[in-house]
Amino acid sequence: MDKKLPVWVRAQDNYAGKVELEHDVDIPTWIVDSSVSKELLSDLYREEKFDMLLDLCGVDYPGREKRFDVVYHLYSFSTGKRLRVKVPVSEDRCEVDSVVDIWKAADWFEREAYDMFGIKFKGHPALRRILTHEGFVGHPLRKDYDPGKRWQLEEDKIYKPVFLNLPPEEDSMFERMTINIGPSHPAMHGTFRLMAVLEGEVIVDSDVEIGYLHRCFEKMAETHPWQQVVPYTDRLNYCSAFINNVAYCKTVEDMLGLELPPKAIWGRMVLMELSRIMDHCVCNGTTLVDVGALTNFWYFFEIREEIYSLLTKCFGSRLTVAGCRIGGFQHDLPPDFIDLCKHLLEIIPPLIEDIDKLVTHNRIWLDRSVGISAISGKEAINWGWTGPCLRASGVQFDLRKNEPYYWYDKVDFDIPVFYGGDVYDRYRVRMAEIKESLKIVRQLVEQGIPDGPYAVDDYHVMLPPKDMVYNQMESMIYHFKLIFEGMRVPPGERYGYLEGANGELGFYIVSDGSPNPYRIKVRPPCFPIFSTFSRLIRNQTVADAIITLGGLNIIAGELER
Amino acid sequence: MVKENELTSPSWITSKLEVIEKWARSRSFWPLPFGTACCAIEYMGVVSSHYDVARFGYEVVRFSPRQSDLLIVAGTITDKMAPVLRKIYEQMPDPKWVISMGACASSGGFYRAYHVVQGIDEIIPVDVYVPGCPPSPEGLIFGILQLKELIKRGRDRYSRKAEVSDG
Amino acid sequence: MRIPDKTKPYRYSLWEKLYLPAIFSGLKVTISHFFKNIRKSPFTIEYPEKRRDYGNRYRGYHILTTRPDGSLKCVACYMCATACPAQCIHIEAAEHPDPNVEKYPVVYEIDMLRCVFCGYCVDACPENAIIMSNTYDMAYFSRKDSIAGIDDLRKPFTVSQEWLGYRPYFPEERKVDLVKMAKERGPVAA
Repeated sequence: MDKKLPVWVRAQDNYAGKVELEHDVDIPTWIVDSSVSKELLSDLYREEKFDMLLDLCGVDYPGREKRFDVVYHLYSFSTGKRLRVKVPVSEDRCEVDSVVDIWKAADWFEREAYDMFGIKFKGHPALRRILTHEGFVGHPLRKDYDPGKRWQLEEDKIYKPVFLNLPPEEDSMFERMTINIGPSHPAMHGTFRLMAVLEGEVIVDSDVEIGYLHRCFEKMAETHPWQQVVPYTDRLNYCSAFINNVAYCKTVEDMLGLELPPKAIWGRMVLMELSRIMDHCVCNGTTLVDVGALTNFWYFFEIREEIYSLLTKCFGSRLTVAGCRIGGFQHDLPPDFIDLCKHLLEIIPPLIEDIDKLVTHNRIWLDRSVGISAISGKEAINWGWTGPCLRASGVQFDLRKNEPYYWYDKVDFDIPVFYGGDVYDRYRVRMAEIKESLKIVRQLVEQGIPDGPYAVDDYHVMLPPKDMVYNQMESMIYHFKLIFEGMRVPPGERYGYLEGANGELGFYIVSDGSPNPYRIKVRPPCFPIFSTFSRLIRNQTVADAIITLGGLNIIAGELER
Repeated sequence: MVKENELTSPSWITSKLEVIEKWARSRSFWPLPFGTACCAIEYMGVVSSHYDVARFGYEVVRFSPRQSDLLIVAGTITDKMAPVLRKIYEQMPDPKWVISMGACASSGGFYRAYHVVQGIDEIIPVDVYVPGCPPSPEGLIFGILQLKELIKRGRDRYSRKAEVSDG
Repeated sequence: MRIPDKTKPYRYSLWEKLYLPAIFSGLKVTISHFFKNIRKSPFTIEYPEKRRDYGNRYRGYHILTTRPDGSLKCVACYMCATACPAQCIHIEAAEHPDPNVEKYPVVYEIDMLRCVFCGYCVDACPENAIIMSNTYDMAYFSRKDSIAGIDDLRKPFTVSQEWLGYRPYFPEERKVDLVKMAKERGPVAA
């Protein structure tokens, strides 16, 4: 598949001349004509077992005859292979067949591509804007759209819900009623809006509106130099900002072909695992608050505050750390880093144990969460789930084990898997993962900090150390060039991914060799997960919907970017 | 401090009442955290045990605008959210104050972008701006304490408006 | 990889079905925390009276450093303004009458409400002219007040070392001698 197209593609006449292989790319890439794209994708689903649609996005090349690329990223659970499919479309015939009936995950991704680029998807059940508001004119991620051009939202244009799966009304005790929850509602975490049709207290169908925190990360990344994108990545998943930094930097480092020094890798691994703990703390803490268990929240926040202390001592900020730079760290880790980590390893386990004792076997919590919004592994994969939520449905998939990066193959840890697929098992997976992350940190700390530099020794990427800048002309020139001209990344594209706290966090980056990234598409793990929300809460009560939302760990900054 | 001529003036009782009113108001805000983004996580830090805003009497967090008098806008406000924020502010009963927490709410921060409101003062009046992205919990507490001082001295927007309407 | 197409919900153990034992073990935890907090001082940091130790890298209010004679070290090279992702730094340069002396800033303003405190300006400065303090208690009553000029920014430097936050390098911490390493390696190709 890497070198040439498989037999079943070459054998079929209708694919002749319409499917091409692209060479010199990071993962196998096919360029497919838009007339056969749907056919080919469903064949890929059947023949090659690509059972997950990881990501779907558009890319704009204004100079080309066929202006837009629709890019699909596929993953196969049975073979572990990845594939990128590009479908070029022209501006005047800006239409592709929808793949919603193959992968349900495509629903929201296609709406996003429509919203951002104006690409139409034929056969999509309800193609409408998703991130920007109803009063918006134009498609913001097109290259000719001015990044600062805003549109006001008038009150009368506010979003109207679309109920797609509304069953016919039968004789029921209750009259049907539509209610609106959010966006300013504590149960909706401030930024989501749920419109539900109720029969009594049971939700018959619902529609979710997002986009209240669409901060235009992707457009901002296109208008800033490579290194300056790092602070923006902080604000994607702000509960575990450091993992986002690493995911972005790692992808760009791979594009540059940089080899990181061991100290940088070690530091990144320790801090990533601690960030993962922080993220799970917020998720489990707020879920429990949503059902009224408040005490755990204080204990979880004690853990977080302790980790904040470490992050502040390393990078100078509590939440939005901007810790990494492309090429390593900006500064060395503090000299007492190991002691601080050891202190954390002493403090966190007893608190986790306390929380375990408080809630894990508590009948009230069990009755509220067991069997709520259950989803099977197979269905979850079709919806594009990854991460802890998928592992709660019984699929043992973790990129740290399946496709190890950094030193994850050298440390010993387990992947916790549960089979309930419900809110309780999502909670249990996260609690177990906190313990596994602690195990990884403990092993790394026992290993000790590796000696050597903390960043690559390449002044085309990293700023030279300051005392050299002050004293040497040559370093001064490098410094000057890096600041004013920015670093350059060779033209090309890459899909970099790692296991974020919510699942596979992917960065699809296109470079054209200029000082700014040409296109950055984030594959946010909670975007496909949240698109399932309407399906999950169908035939459940409103109270269950609220706890379901908590258990999915939806972070608005990452969902809406 | 009460001056001699104030004691003898006829409005002594009402002005004393005002002092008590200001004293009470400034010490018991009922905040409504309009949290959308990263700042909301730091707001959680403010109410949790390390910073414990209850020490000042500001722990009665209400999510209903009808029951609160201090709107803390924590997080980026987008054009889509703007009508919601305006409505929430209008629903709050007088007297009401607004704290804009963090760079995004105050000025749009580094999101000079097509979907982000460049400062919530486009939509609603703001009493105190707290810089930082996000501000540390201490920063927010400092901001609230500044507002407290302002109200105690009667220099806040609401008291000034009352003065004008009284003539 | 095995992919289940059914879910298997958790089954309660006898201990959990009994309801009360778990409740009591939970109560034991909270009560033990209660007594622990009475004996030992609680976690709370009494903020205005006490300040938390954030280490000496905290990214807070900016400082413009000065030379011994009191003039600004800044040479108005615009590197911080270029490196700033928020574009919140505004500089206007002026030539010194003596051609041997470098340029200096007439106007140096930071819009504190735009600033995201990422520290990029500190990293970009080639003269160690802008650093950060660990001051986090800031609040403004209007957008206009929030623009900090030269006088506001140079003021905090008179305070002691303890107030310093994020700086271009931390000499007391440095272990690896990058300068020596780079010298041994020789110049890199341009």
